[in-house]
Amino acid sequence: MSGTETYQFSCPECGQSLTVDDSMRFALVDNGCVVCGAPLRGTEFAACS
Amino acid sequence: MALDQQTEMTQSEIDDVLSRHETGVLSLARSDDPYAIPISYGYDSEHRRFYMRLVSTPESEKREFLSSSPDCRLVVYEETEPVYQSVVAIGTLEQISTDELTADHIEQYGKAKRPLFEIWAEGKEELDVQLFKLDPESMSGRRIEIES
Ligand SMILES: [Zn+2]
Repeated sequence: MSGTETYQFSCPECGQSLTVDDSMRFALVDNGCVVCGAPLRGTEFAACS
Repeated sequence: MALDQQTEMTQSEIDDVLSRHETGVLSLARSDDPYAIPISYGYDSEHRRFYMRLVSTPESEKREFLSSSPDCRLVVYEETEPVYQSVVAIGTLEQISTDELTADHIEQYGKAKRPLFEIWAEGKEELDVQLFKLDPESMSGRRIEIES
């Protein structure tokens, strides 16, 4: 199965970093940082190659 | 004032109260020492689980209590005269490591209020936010109607 992208998430407020897949990325953008609750804009993710 | 009626709440009444609120008092025990803190939570009414973020500083008492999956009680109450309702959930607090997070966890934590008052109290670098889940072994609710 291909098509599952992974991203490196880095929270601008608390500094938490996480490796996430697409569904986690969408959930983070909708719900804010899982650790500190900071709202996210969707630009806090870098695609992993 | 007389205590008029005390009734056990049904599970769906309990779910309603827990979903309507987002803060409660969490009590932890370690040998003979009690420790109680106000917390905010997100409640998953489908699986009847609580998700909470607990903030502590490196030397804090809270950190010590959290270091071993402690037994806990969470109390959530509501007073809307003349009705007083309280829910008690009893279980073991489990830490969720950031490596095991799922999209579902992220949504559950989205329901929990930001621990702002704690974050603002001290320099952020000093603080450590830990994620916990409480899957209660038992839950009970009482409603008391007070006749005035
Ligand atoms: Zn954060």
